[in-house]
Amino acid sequence: MLRYVLRRLTLLIGIVWVISVGSFYLIHLLPGDPATVILGTGASPANRAILYRQLGLNKPIIEQYFVWMGNILHGNLGTSFISETSVASTIRTALPIDVELIVLSQILAFAAAIPLAMRSARKPNGVLDRILSAGSFTLLSIPSFIIIVLLVLVVSIKLGIANTGPSSYVSLGSDWVVNLESLALPAFTLAVGSFVIYFRVLRSDLIATLQEEFITMARSKGLRQRRIMWRHAFRPSSVALLGAAGVNIGGLLAGGFVVEYLLGIPGLGYTLITGIASSDYLLVQGIVLVVSVGVVLINFVFDFIISVVDPRITRE
Amino acid sequence: MSTQLLVVDDLHTTFRTAAGLVAAVGGVSFDLATNETVGIVGESGSGKTVLARTIMGLQPRSNVEVRGSVLLDGHQVVGASEREMRERWATDVSMVFQDPMTSLNPVMRIGRQIDETLRVRLGMDKRAARARAIELLAMVGMPSAEHRYRAYPTQLSGGMRQRVVIATALACSPKLLIADEPTTGLDVTIQAQILNLLDDLKEQLHMSVILITHDLGVVATRTSRIIVMYAGRIVEMGATRDVFFRHRMPYTRALLESSPKVSNPSHTRLRVIPGRPPNLSTLTSGCAFAPRCSSASERCHQERPSLEPAEEPGHVFACWHPLAATELHEAPR
Ligand SMILES: Nc1ncnc2c1ncn2[C@@H]1O[C@H](COP(=O)(O)OP(=O)(O)O)[C@@H](O)[C@H]1O
Ligand code: SF4
Ligand SMILES: [Mg+2]
Repeated sequence: MLRYVLRRLTLLIGIVWVISVGSFYLIHLLPGDPATVILGTGASPANRAILYRQLGLNKPIIEQYFVWMGNILHGNLGTSFISETSVASTIRTALPIDVELIVLSQILAFAAAIPLAMRSARKPNGVLDRILSAGSFTLLSIPSFIIIVLLVLVVSIKLGIANTGPSSYVSLGSDWVVNLESLALPAFTLAVGSFVIYFRVLRSDLIATLQEEFITMARSKGLRQRRIMWRHAFRPSSVALLGAAGVNIGGLLAGGFVVEYLLGIPGLGYTLITGIASSDYLLVQGIVLVVSVGVVLINFVFDFIISVVDPRITRE
Repeated sequence: MSTQLLVVDDLHTTFRTAAGLVAAVGGVSFDLATNETVGIVGESGSGKTVLARTIMGLQPRSNVEVRGSVLLDGHQVVGASEREMRERWATDVSMVFQDPMTSLNPVMRIGRQIDETLRVRLGMDKRAARARAIELLAMVGMPSAEHRYRAYPTQLSGGMRQRVVIATALACSPKLLIADEPTTGLDVTIQAQILNLLDDLKEQLHMSVILITHDLGVVATRTSRIIVMYAGRIVEMGATRDVFFRHRMPYTRALLESSPKVSNPSHTRLRVIPGRPPNLSTLTSGCAFAPRCSSASERCHQERPSLEPAEEPGHVFACWHPLAATELHEAPR
């Protein structure tokens, strides 16, 4: 177990290092002098000088990388010349919104997917299973922006439920009730996509697991269906589910921007889009770095959970 | 009157599959006395496992038709609901499954797998169940049982896993234990250990046992009676010594000759039974063994022989051209 974790950890550090080189290089990949890329063509010589000092642009590129890396390790992602605020503090405000949104959506998705997958798997091709499978397939084909638009039309406009429409976001700290209301629709929308994935993955693995001999043995011990499902079938069927969740949650961190942008929720995705629109490359670079590392970390955590759930994995 | 723990009468189990009906068990009748051990032998595919599961009422419920009667301790199993059977499994009847590699939950500690039966079925509290599970593990010969209680199945050898399966099956002291090829996947020395263990436990716990195997050598010294199955039917049944020494059915002889423990390896080469077991979805009206039988006649292909009594009490066989009723074999070693 320890060796497994150490091995994964080495890999993790390797990947994070590659990501850091990649995002560092991002600025240099763009055509033209980095200072011009970052500041725009009309920059004053004074600003250029500040930037040269901040990024060490007059030094060799390897040294620049170490300067940049050293700054990052101190939590310093640079100061945006566009908004004149530190990139790190912008990210610190935006990131918790994504975390909250993802947590809410995942609670909804799992709470629906697990019991429904169990119901479905109990009688594969039964009436309920057919309805759920067809329903989830339909949901899969609806893009999230359509879902959010429909939800806003029905819930916020037609039903007139307050604090659910666009631009009603209020931070968790200022009023948590309104905050939850304002995140209800986007969380639900993200949950729909996640639900479909989780339901389908878990259903098919449960169906396979329920064929196993150890399930027959569990029955022959006189255990109830419910107990067999939760205690015997669920855990060995959840490896693919957890793998899918790791990838999916990483994807939400990187790709929640559609929903955020449509509803004006100032999370990372929203900030990234505004950053790109205003050519704020330091901000873009910072968000790319944080999101990439976040995705890798999430997958690492899920790999670890999987190895706990299924001890066969760490033992090859 | 009933000293019979189990009375099986004209039992049929038929699967509806895409390829048609599969008559896995085709009219089986036998009984089993309290404290008796009976062996069921037959090649792989002869319907032993299906018969065992039907007796337990453990078949999957869809696409299966079960007809006939199974009286277990006076109560009918055929047609009983899953809920009714749940009350009887583990306490009245339990099973040692064929493959200890697949019959234990791979992601659950073995101790939990044993003590959940105790808790759910006998209502023991956590502590008592744990203590009893460790006792059971020790009883089936698990070294350092207390420590192994926390092991996962993958950390144990095949023989040790089978001991866990046996401990689980015995947890609620069943009246009938069905051991379905309990040693097939294990190596020879472990096989003997497991079979001896089952023998000892049977005496200790006053159980009746059905010992299923494809190898007559396994049941030679451990059963009072033997049932020989072919293509879902009983083709010969009798006291163990009669089946070994005075069998009448060519298939029984072929089984004996193919058993490594019965035929003497230094004198005879092991004979495999030529041909393959029949396809159960296309059984004809004749003797199912006819295509592989050297004594088969025209009649064998047309008409199925029914079970007829031999001279010895309780010995029956189904064959139009039975072997001579003389001592046919040396004693098993
Ligand atoms: N669920 C099932 N559906 C269809 N056929 C089955 C099923 N289970 C068993 N069978 C068939 O029943 C026959 C007897 O199988 P089995 O009882 O496992 O034989 P044995 O235990 O003697 O090796 C086999 O031909 C097998 O293919
Ligand atoms: S009935 Fe005929 S085919 Fe069947 S075992 Fe006897 S001799 Fe062989
Ligand atoms: Mg079998």
